This record gives sequence, structure tokens and C-alpha cells, in this order.
Amino acid sequence: MLILTYDGTFEGLLTVVYECYYQKLQPQDIQVEGEKEKDFVSRYVFIDTEDEKADKVYRSIEEKISSQALKNCYYAFLSDDETRSISLYHYIRLGFKQGKAIDSFLTQEAVANLHGIMQKVVRERHRMLGLTRFVELEDGSLYGKIQPKYNILSLIAPHFAERLGSERWMIHDEGRNLLVIGTEGKWLLRDYTMKEALKVHKREAFFQSLWKEFHQSIAIKDRKNLKLQGQLMPKRYWHNLTEMQGSPPRDGEK
Amino acid sequence: MELQEKLKILSDAAKYDVSCSSSGSNRKNTPGGLGSASEAGICHSWTEDGRCVSLLKILFSNECVYDCVYCHNKRSNAIPRATFTPREVVELTLNFYKRNYIEGLFLSSGVVNNPDHTMEQLLEVVKRLREEKFNGYIHLKGIPGADPKLIHAAGNYVDRMSINIELPSEKSLLSLAPQKKKESILLPMASIKEEISVYKAEKKISRFTPSFLPAGQTTQMIIGASPESDLNILNLSEGLYNRFSMKRVYYSAYIPANDNSLLPSIQTKPPLLREHRLYQGDWLLRFYGFTAKELLNPANPNFDLDLDPKCFWAIENLQHFPVEINKASYEELLRIPGVGVRSAWKIIKARRVGSLDYQDLKKIGVVLKRAKYFITCKGKYYGGISLYPENIRKQLIQKPKDHQRQLSIFDLYSESILRKEAPSKVMGEL
Repeated sequence: MLILTYDGTFEGLLTVVYECYYQKLQPQDIQVEGEKEKDFVSRYVFIDTEDEKADKVYRSIEEKISSQALKNCYYAFLSDDETRSISLYHYIRLGFKQGKAIDSFLTQEAVANLHGIMQKVVRERHRMLGLTRFVELEDGSLYGKIQPKYNILSLIAPHFAERLGSERWMIHDEGRNLLVIGTEGKWLLRDYTMKEALKVHKREAFFQSLWKEFHQSIAIKDRKNLKLQGQLMPKRYWHNLTEMQGSPPRDGEK
Repeated sequence: MELQEKLKILSDAAKYDVSCSSSGSNRKNTPGGLGSASEAGICHSWTEDGRCVSLLKILFSNECVYDCVYCHNKRSNAIPRATFTPREVVELTLNFYKRNYIEGLFLSSGVVNNPDHTMEQLLEVVKRLREEKFNGYIHLKGIPGADPKLIHAAGNYVDRMSINIELPSEKSLLSLAPQKKKESILLPMASIKEEISVYKAEKKISRFTPSFLPAGQTTQMIIGASPESDLNILNLSEGLYNRFSMKRVYYSAYIPANDNSLLPSIQTKPPLLREHRLYQGDWLLRFYGFTAKELLNPANPNFDLDLDPKCFWAIENLQHFPVEINKASYEELLRIPGVGVRSAWKIIKARRVGSLDYQDLKKIGVVLKRAKYFITCKGKYYGGISLYPENIRKQLIQKPKDHQRQLSIFDLYSESILRKEAPSKVMGEL
């Protein structure tokens, strides 16, 4: 049983696809090196990332399949699903065979799997457009902390870059130690670990308490439905949401 | 009065307006500006009632001179009163927006002094916001009876405007809101419609035409405060969609606010399930090609609370079924109970590359719980019962405990979290 591993980058995964074609490899699985424990029976081969090869695959997906397919692949890659790499590989294989009609083959496992993985990422991306909260720092810049399930930081950055105009803003994916810094429509992504506590603007507390007030008073008590609230806004996001801090415990209150 | 106290009073006073969507506009940011609109809309939070928060929804003032019987803010109610200054609303909006709490502003108001004065104040707020280069979404209420010039002026600054009908007939309007006239509601609606079409025509000639309500107009009706049937209501909605190119009609289950012999008793529970059925019916009008008279008629003037409107229609019209999945047109697919816009699209898409059997439908994610009684796949029927109304009805009736789940107003408030996918219309409610 052959298992290919790579460095965890998108280029790395595309290089794996390249080697599969040119070395006629038929991997049983594709994994990020070090992400999963290795078993004794399988043969593991690590594929070195080569930008040129990755680039070739990147362009041929776009030209021979479709730019939508390329987007699907990138979104699926950002998932934390363990099967994302091998699913992407099967999808691309079928894609090279079927061309731009690939996304119509909904009954094919290769397509259904990839779409499934990709759609969860799409959904979380959209969710985080709304659920990201900024605090204003002493110097007037905006800082937002998120802990998304998937690696969607680079997907939400363009939205905030457009929207926040000349504000100086940052979004910090705390779990992945990534930071996007942006201003004037531009943004850049880099590694980041917070070293010292940030200094918050003195009017920040005022607007936070106004927002909490609003969030409470806009709810209709006669329609109280905490289950629905939890479905639409899963609890795993709450600890980064200003309005959900300091609200009374809700468990056991059904 | 402290700003926090005002915000408390004036958001509490605005909460019965159900519309909170921020969709339908694609306003772009400008150099040095703050904000943009998202075509599909974005929800930013959900409150304890499970409703989405997309906009800062507030009244400018609740010092209303009207005394509408059903209304929480009516003059004769002893409640705390407050009025913002335009500056305060602008500050709140900009600061909430910067922190990504909201998509923009939803501004309504009680009638202060008179409709013109109120509308001038609202106009002042939205004008200042745009002068501050705010490019987020603004939904503004048109005040019934205000000078059309003021309403039009405001239309150049905001994305969407709504004038609420509130009561679904002239008779109810007369008895419950005697200071509002049918004409003062319908005339501005008609003139907004007119103005939007003029704008669209001019836009084709010059792209520098100043925008006018890019996200169109909407309205709201209260359900259950007055005796109209679902048929009356749906007919009215259909008329509004057709005559005024309304983007949305919202339905708001009446929550007893006042004790009055003209109203349901104060103990009455809000008719949430009925509201839900009306929304389902409304969806069928807008996205599924149904007409009001197909769904309801004088013999059946109200929706069945046990069955969703499409199931009910299908059982009454079994001559159209079963439908062959591999041959039916998009329009026919949409009429199958349990098949929504997204499933119909998937079927059409997957059919292009091969015919579908029952298992294939499962694979592509079509929910067959209801659909299976109404379809064939490659000529074979999988419903397992013969096609008689009473048989199918028995299969489809939900168990009582499911009613709880039906009350979920998921269809309504989660629109924009559902992905934007062709046709984005349904999810983004364009």
C-alpha cells in the first residue's frame, strides 16, 4: 500500500498530483507529513514540493477542467478533513478525464466527496464574515481574533480589505498562529504569535456595552428559542463574540 | 438621557419589525470610505429568539403621536420614551460597523409631530452617514403620509426602503390604525416603484446616474391581530409583488402588546406556525411559480397546519403525479413536495451526464422523505403505496412532536448563511 506525504502546502499537494501522473503512482492515501501516525504495513514516500511542477498542475486544472474546479480544490485543501488530499486527487483525475463538465458528475464519489468537503469550508467562510469581531486598539487600528475550524483566514481577508478601506486592521487566527494585516484595500498573511497583551482604546468598553445592550433588547422574549440560536450560531464561536460574553449560563435552561 | 438608555428603549421599540436582511445591494466602497454591501447579505449574530442580527435596527424616536390599537409604541401606552439625535445614530452606526457587529443600519421611527417632520429627521441621518463616506447597507422606513419629495430624496441615499402595510385589509386598518390611510401606504409604494424603474432606465444610458434603492422595497404585515384569512393575505402579497415589484413581504405573528376589545386577548400565543406556513406559501409564489389561487381558495381559505403548502397542493392535484425525474422540466421538478430550488438544480445538472435512478438521487443529496410518493425514476415508483390522497396524506402528516421543529424560523432568518449558489435568489432573497 502506497501512501504519499507532503509538506502541507497547496503547492506540495499539487506536486504530489504531478508525480502521480508522471511516475504513474497509484497512492492509497495522501497525507500531510506528520499529521497522522504511520502504520507498519504501508509504504510511505515523501514528495518534495517543487513550485514549477505545482504551477503546471495549477494551470492545467484551470485550462483543462475549469477555474471553478480550481477554486473547489483550493477550498477543499483548506479543510481539516483527513481525506481532503486524496479526495482532491481523485477529483482532479476524474476532472482531467471529463473536462469542464466535472461538476455535473454529482453521483460520482470523487465529485460528491470533494464537494462535501469544499462546501463546509464555503459555509464557514461565509459565517466568519459575520462572526469576526474587531476591537479598537489604542492607536486606532482594529484587531479581530478568530478560531475557525478550517483555515479560512485567506478567504475572508479580501472581504475586509474592501470593506474597511483606509482603516488599519488585523485578523488573528489564534489556533493556527496566522495573522492578516491590511489597509487601503491591500492585505498580507503571515505567521504570528502574540507576545504581549494588546492595548485597547479607552472608548472600546463603551461601544462593547452598547452592543451588548442592543443584542439583549432586540430579542423578542415571547419567541425565545435558544436551541435555534445555538443551531444558527454554534457555541464553538461564542468565546470570541463580544455580545456573548458575560451573559448568564444557558445550559439546563430548556 | 444616556446613550445606552436611549439605545435600550429604541431598539426594544424596533424589535417587532421582522425584516433584518442586508441582501440585494452590491454597493461598493469608495476611496477613503468605510463599508460595502454584500449581495447575498450577511448575518452577524443571532439573538435568544433565534433571529439573525444583520442591521442595527432602531427607531429614531418612539414619541409617536399616533394611537394605533395594536402597537406597542402607541401614544396612550405608558412606556419610556426617547429620541436620538442624528449625530448619535451616525456615531453608533459607524462604530458598530467598524467592529463588524453589523452590516449597516435599519432605521424606522414613530411619528414625531407629523409625518413630514419625522421623514426629514430620517433623511438627515442617512444623508449624514453617506457624507461621512459610509457605504454599508441602509434600510430606511418610509413614513406613511410624508411628502413624496422627502421619500424620494431619501431613496438616493439608502439601499432599501419599506413602508409597512401592517394590517392586511382596509377594514382592519380603519379599526386598528385609524390615523393611517390605505392611500398613504399604497401611493408612496407606487411612486417608489415608478422611481426605481426610471432609475433603471437612466442607468442604462449613463452609469453615473445616482443610485435609487438598489435593493428595492419591502413591506410587512401583522398576522393574527385582525381576522383576515391566509387567502386574503396571500392574495394581497401576490398583488404587491406584481404591482409594486416588491422584493419581499414580511409576515409578523402578532404578539399581544395591548389589552383592547378589538384585539385578540392578551394571553393569546403568537401564531408562529401560521406565520411559518405563510412564509412557505410566499416562497412558492416567488420562487416556485405558484399563484395564490392555486394554493388557496374560498373552500380552503387557510393553510393546513399539519402539511406544508406544497404537499397540500400536491395531494389535491394528484393528476400531475408521479413525475418522472429524468424527463420533468425544471418547473415541474419544483412542484414536487420536498424538492427545493437547490435539489431541482442538482437534478438538472446531474441529468446532463447520465440518467438518474433512486439511489443516485440519494447520492446527490435530494431529500426523498416526501418526494418519494410523487416521483418515478426511470419509470419505477418507490413510494410503496398507491397514489390516493388519503394514503399519502397519512404518510406525510407530521407527528405532533415535529410541530416544535416546524416552529424553527430557519427558512426566514438563515437565508444568508445558506450558501450563495445558483440561483442565489432564493437564498439571498433578491
